[in-house]
Amino acid sequence: MNRSKSIFQDFLPIIISFGVGAVVLIFVGESPLEIYSLMLSEGFGSTRRIAATLSSATPLIFTAVATAVSFRSGVFNIGIEGAFILGGLAGAFVGFSMEMSHIFIHIFFCLLAGILVGGVWLYLPAWLRANWKVDEVVTTLMLNFIAVAIATGLVNGPLLAKGAGNNMTPMIHESAELLKLLPPSTLHAGFLIGLFILILYGFFCSNSLFGFENKMVGLNEFFSKTVGINTKKIIISSMLLSGAIGGLGGSCHALGVLHRYVEGFSPGYGWTGMAIALISKNSAIGILIGSILFGALASAGTTIQLFSDIPLDLIDVLQGTVMLLATITVFKFKKDNADR
Amino acid sequence: MQIVEYILASGVLLTTPILLAAMGGLFNRLGGIVNIGLEGKMLLGAIVALLVSANTNSWLLGILAAAFASSLAGLLFSILITRLNANMIIVGFGLNIFIAGLVGFYLKWFHGSSGTLKLENTVLLPKISIPFINDLPILGTLFSNKDPLTWISWLIALSMPWIIFKTRLGMRVRCAGSDEHVARAIGLNVKTLMDFSSSVAGFFAGLAGAHLSIGMLGLFSMGLISGRGFIALAAFYFGRNMPIRTSLVCLVFGILDSMQIRLQGLGLPSEPVQAIPWITVIGILSFMGWREHRNSQELG
Repeated sequence: MNRSKSIFQDFLPIIISFGVGAVVLIFVGESPLEIYSLMLSEGFGSTRRIAATLSSATPLIFTAVATAVSFRSGVFNIGIEGAFILGGLAGAFVGFSMEMSHIFIHIFFCLLAGILVGGVWLYLPAWLRANWKVDEVVTTLMLNFIAVAIATGLVNGPLLAKGAGNNMTPMIHESAELLKLLPPSTLHAGFLIGLFILILYGFFCSNSLFGFENKMVGLNEFFSKTVGINTKKIIISSMLLSGAIGGLGGSCHALGVLHRYVEGFSPGYGWTGMAIALISKNSAIGILIGSILFGALASAGTTIQLFSDIPLDLIDVLQGTVMLLATITVFKFKKDNADR
Repeated sequence: MQIVEYILASGVLLTTPILLAAMGGLFNRLGGIVNIGLEGKMLLGAIVALLVSANTNSWLLGILAAAFASSLAGLLFSILITRLNANMIIVGFGLNIFIAGLVGFYLKWFHGSSGTLKLENTVLLPKISIPFINDLPILGTLFSNKDPLTWISWLIALSMPWIIFKTRLGMRVRCAGSDEHVARAIGLNVKTLMDFSSSVAGFFAGLAGAHLSIGMLGLFSMGLISGRGFIALAAFYFGRNMPIRTSLVCLVFGILDSMQIRLQGLGLPSEPVQAIPWITVIGILSFMGWREHRNSQELG
């Protein structure tokens, strides 16, 4: 395989998406070069901007790793969005309902709640997939909507903050707030937790037996079973792990940025994470780069909307294009499966 | 009694977009493609129908333009899958985000609106009332004062079994969808058939979107579709790709939709009702999985 061509193909979706964005901008009479260079400086131009970018990248690191863990083992789990939302709600709940004197203990329990809820949330589709071969794409997709319904129902009912008109829990106690790394930016300790998870994930991929078995099951479930890998166990555990990481990401987001759960908690972090996992082909370094890129797009997009009237929706156009193209194969390196 | 009648009447109307999208999605599914992108194509259809209807003063041109635009989107979606080997689930999501981005951009840039668009001169779908049935107690609420798209949706749903099981085209699409190799062996152009079924799905999704914007509300909003594309997906999964069964599921989902809107209007929690379609689909898939599992155990 030609290595430079392969790297080119990895970046192709991103290159084309900026091309599509440029067409949109030219169409409305704006200069793409100007807007893109403005975005670059808004994304990375100063320490403060970099902090904002990393802050926007934080939830994406979690959702991308969560997606990658299950995609690697061949489980098409698209339920991270739901795990993230419910993990966030659980973290916020422990954060505002319990009082603990020691800051680390309180944060620990909040994050634990997120991890547990996220993991448990994906246990059902995992079990159904492993034991009865129920299509996990559909079940996890549907579970996202159920998660939204549960969270919305709870924050409009039993968990609604007193005096708040709409859709939010009370603020969490100060002891549950994650440390701000570079105030006044929203960058918080959750970013470090995300990096830690990412490093663990990299280690898991390259150096652990579990990671190896995961990959084997992903490559060929039948073969793995034949050589004695417990495929059921691998499928269930990778999905639980995936949900747990998604839930952890949600609780970090609640403790670090919003300090409560609000309706509209996730503007689609699960889907963006999925796009990142796909274009990075599940590699840890790729996930880091992809998360920072999409984080920069999100944070720069917001300021672009303020300064130059370019609607933030341009970011969706870019992200949508990346997803449309993320899985295409233009150069036929692999033998075309369809023509076997 | 009045409430029941109200819920039924608006339930029938709310079934129309779900039913149209579900029939398209079902046809696409039979052609071998799971269409996650129905939601986006409905959104596209909704805005196109409103714009064209307002600018041409014709609802008919509005729905035709919507259907055409969305079937083009369906074709794009399909070509990425059939010719460039993209993963259909990811492409579906990508299409939803892409279209939402374009439409949102358009609204903000050209109309300065952050989410809704109401245009003067929009011609809404006419209501067809039938003289005699009108006055009957329950049939009257069910059948009278319905727009042409509602009638068309049920006509399509009822003729769907014939289309997919009796016509040559329907059988070819099913063949391409169920076994690519056999289809190719008997000389069918599998990729073209798949592309065709995706365009059909787009066509119906466009009509579904048009029904929401110029059939029911008379305006466009970014939250207009609010998951109905996925409800349609749930419907044909629940109906196991059988057209009549799927239409009945759509009717149930439409009535549930009308119930939850009513509950919201009364200030009661509507989320449990909203979640019913999703829960039932997981239930039915689990049941089918369990049955197959049990059968395979018995066989040995």
